Amino acid sequence: MKQALAIAAKDLRSEIRGKEIAPAMLFFGATLILLLSFSLPPGSGRAPVPIPVAGAVAARHVAGTLLWTSILFAALIGLGSSAAIEHQGSRIEGLIMAPVDPALIFIGKAAANFVFLTLLEAVMLPVFVILLDPAPGLFPGILLVLLMANIGLSSVGTLFGTAAQFSTSKSLVLPLLIFPSCVPILLSASQLTSGLMMSGTFEGQSRWTILMLAFDIVYVTLGAVTFEFVLTE
Amino acid sequence: MKKDPLPVLAGVTATAMLAGLWAVFFWVPTEEFQGVVQRVFYIHVPMAWVAYLAFAVVLVCSIAFLKTNNSRWDTVAHSSAEVGVVFTGICLATGMLWAKPVWGTYWRWDPRLTLTFVLFLIYAGYLVVHRTAADPSRGGRLAAVVGITGFATVPLVHFSVDWWRGQHPGRTVINVEGSPQLPAEMLLTLLFMLAVFTLLYTVLMTLRVRLALLEQRAVVA
Repeated sequence: MKQALAIAAKDLRSEIRGKEIAPAMLFFGATLILLLSFSLPPGSGRAPVPIPVAGAVAARHVAGTLLWTSILFAALIGLGSSAAIEHQGSRIEGLIMAPVDPALIFIGKAAANFVFLTLLEAVMLPVFVILLDPAPGLFPGILLVLLMANIGLSSVGTLFGTAAQFSTSKSLVLPLLIFPSCVPILLSASQLTSGLMMSGTFEGQSRWTILMLAFDIVYVTLGAVTFEFVLTE
Repeated sequence: MKKDPLPVLAGVTATAMLAGLWAVFFWVPTEEFQGVVQRVFYIHVPMAWVAYLAFAVVLVCSIAFLKTNNSRWDTVAHSSAEVGVVFTGICLATGMLWAKPVWGTYWRWDPRLTLTFVLFLIYAGYLVVHRTAADPSRGGRLAAVVGITGFATVPLVHFSVDWWRGQHPGRTVINVEGSPQLPAEMLLTLLFMLAVFTLLYTVLMTLRVRLALLEQRAVVA
């Protein structure tokens, strides 16, 4: 476990010094929320809308989807570049040769990506609140959903982000691998978020929670088991 | 020299397919509410099941490939993924043909439809990874990882109709009620078509694996 922590610390330190991932990821995420808000009809906002506008929807009906779509796209940028950086100057080869269990390398890198994702969300959530206006009382609940989803997203991102680096068309393969595999997590996360914004509680949402946790467990386990084969020459 | 079983297998499959199609179009009674269009059910459902089978083969062969590093397993897994993607595509297409008259629209964002589409994309990703890797042996390994993790979505597709009240019809054969909710003729036709498409899968797999082996020999030579 110490080795996994060391690898996570290495990735985080490299990011703190190089600042290669976070800035691009954060601004891209904020841009996405802004862009996606254009898809709402004019007058949409916190329900009930003071003066009803024809076609306006309460932002809370779609907020979950908007938030999660933006997070996923921004995460893709971050996960892709975090894996790409590791391949610059063959840094990954050093890791492959190091006498460390590949499963621990996976856990370490996934943990670092988990931190990146959480940071991303910490910045995006306020933007999201300003633009879409969910009640601030829902923050702890949304945060819980975010953290649960990050486990699965960072595992998938680490596994496939690294795998895509060995492909000749990285930028095509990366989203093609990451997006479909993330759908079960994304689906439950956006359902939980929207449910939370509609009713204020997680009541009646246990199925989505179970689904998300199940996929978290599956992806962490499969990632740890198969990462070895992604790294093998 | 041993006799090649493929022509016999292909002949049996073709005959059974004709018999099955005859049953689908002439023998089985027309469903009362949906009319003639319901007959696509006998192609749609077997396609989905055989696609699950194909992806299960991908899973097993991918594990075997990673364990043994014998490229034969990768060849079988890759062939099965190709057939599976085609069958999933046909399943989606026949579903849309049914949905247009019955639902009034080709597509709805129902959980099972969405997840089947996701399954299609995951295994399309498998094929792309296999093809685009810098060297073929690594491509096989990366694809095997996708083939293993991708299978996690299959049960989700299958049970999605029970877990979420979508618009896709529920499971009619092995279902929550415990017994098939179909008249005997319909069930018989469905099971027969299932057998036919499983045979078709076997034929396609045999052809595809042989072709792949020939390709590999051509590359080596």
